[in-house]
Amino acid sequence: MNVGTNASDLIAQVLAGEVWPPLADRHGHRVGADGRPFALPGMGGVTLGVHCGDPALGYASDHLEPGASVRHRDTAANNALQFLCCTGNAVRVTSGPAAGAVGHVIGQHAYVLADFAEPDLARMAPGDQVSVTAVGQGLALPDHPAVVVKNCSPGLLSAMPGGTAPDGRLEVHVTAVIPAEAVGAGAGMSSEYANTDLMGAYPGLPPAFSLGLEHLRIGDVVAMRDADHRFGRGYRADYLAIGVISTGQCRLFGHGPGASTLFSGPAEAFRLVTDADANLARYLHESPRSAR
Amino acid sequence: MSGTPGRPVGLSMLGIVENAELGTEPYRVDADGQPYLPVGDGGVVLGLDLGDPVFSRTADHAAPGACIVHPDPVARHGLTTYCCVGNTAVVRTGDAAGAEGVVIGKRGERGRVIVALGQDDLARLRPGDEVAVHAVGQGWRPAHLSPDVSVMNADPGLLSRLPVSVAEDGSGISAHVRACVPGRLAGNGIGRPAVSWDLDLQLRPADLGEAALLLGDLIAVTDIDARYTMGYRRGWVTVGVVSHGASRLPGHGPGMTPLLTGPADVLRAHADAVGHGGLGWAAGQPH
Repeated sequence: MNVGTNASDLIAQVLAGEVWPPLADRHGHRVGADGRPFALPGMGGVTLGVHCGDPALGYASDHLEPGASVRHRDTAANNALQFLCCTGNAVRVTSGPAAGAVGHVIGQHAYVLADFAEPDLARMAPGDQVSVTAVGQGLALPDHPAVVVKNCSPGLLSAMPGGTAPDGRLEVHVTAVIPAEAVGAGAGMSSEYANTDLMGAYPGLPPAFSLGLEHLRIGDVVAMRDADHRFGRGYRADYLAIGVISTGQCRLFGHGPGASTLFSGPAEAFRLVTDADANLARYLHESPRSAR
Repeated sequence: MSGTPGRPVGLSMLGIVENAELGTEPYRVDADGQPYLPVGDGGVVLGLDLGDPVFSRTADHAAPGACIVHPDPVARHGLTTYCCVGNTAVVRTGDAAGAEGVVIGKRGERGRVIVALGQDDLARLRPGDEVAVHAVGQGWRPAHLSPDVSVMNADPGLLSRLPVSVAEDGSGISAHVRACVPGRLAGNGIGRPAVSWDLDLQLRPADLGEAALLLGDLIAVTDIDARYTMGYRRGWVTVGVVSHGASRLPGHGPGMTPLLTGPADVLRAHADAVGHGGLGWAAGQPH
């Protein structure tokens, strides 16, 4: 983005994390929007075959978390990891056969979600240790005082198109504008934790369940209407929250592909540009799909 | 969704009066970035009754009465899931032993059951006191109810004391409520199970026009399906009872414990901004 920032004032911290195993309980099944039970993978562990730029939906999966899902065993250290990691931060594997591989944070979902090249992911497993160079919280745009930046690394910000528009607003490229009705689980949580599940994206179900979001891709930058994420996540008319789709397919009703917050402020502070390429695959990968 | 057929089973459950809890930092942050100290978010709350306005106090998620919990997290979910609005609760220990109250709602996350008691009894209650609840209602359905409508969290004696009427020809059910609010205002609780979690409504006083929303009122939320977990479904409606008051926390607000959910043309909600009488009104009537 062509925008002034305080990036030179930020400090980075090295945070330790661990690839966390998928979790289940003895009952196995949950209930979908169609009222039918399901038992499907997607959350936790190392999820293969889905990366930034790929469709978010269309998988036999629930709460699909692309790549590696990372936590810390200690509660307070985990809080720091979850709150301080920012989209675009570098993640380096420090143990196991994939040691040395470098990926990046694509968002949070009560796990830090790290996308790696597919061959690296295939060598990773729960228990592998990773280091995250966490930098970005505190990032501010002095020329846009009404806009709050969250969970966005300075590197990602500089790789995004847009910036200060001639009329003084912040131009942000997005693939979609999401209606307020879509906001599902995650409302009411801190803006620095997990993400905002978007309902109305259940492929194959009747139209009454659809808000037309079935086309979203992992890594898409989207704008959420009537959402104020400056100090937590809530409904506020005429505000916008800009986020990145960091999780995909859900069957669990009231859940859906999730957006990790990047910016929020009054709608009038933004100039949205619809851009089908507004995706982390373009901003964070040197040659997005061909490299894999 | 006709639910489980058969006679509902009652349980005698044990709840413990909750201590009000805070984290190591006292402040929460409101939607405008202002820190505030949350008062009344759980535990024993005095001076707040069914029928009081949800916006009347400087409080956070305050419920009229006492919240009861269980020290074992799994038993706590059991308590929250099986207790139903209208269930009888009796204090078993402490200075208020023998006092009788009624379940008026529940709250999610770790789970809490909200018990309304007389103010004199509440003043004698102490966190840690035991409360027994005659939990009955999950699985119950009124006769003649259309199979399209699901019922949850309702004592079998509750609906007949509320402005709710089931058409005997099976064509549907009507509910008179304080207000019908759009589903886009649904906050914390979306995506969570309706049998054990309330739905916070991101309301400000001005959103309701002339209606003053009271604790215990029935309220309808459009385009929300609460058969299992709660979520968006066009043309559907969910009716519940307002069980706790407002909150400044983004994504939170007065909480509704769901009672009925179904297609809007079968579960017919009628807003009565001025004349509505909900659980607060019913509590003042003889059984």
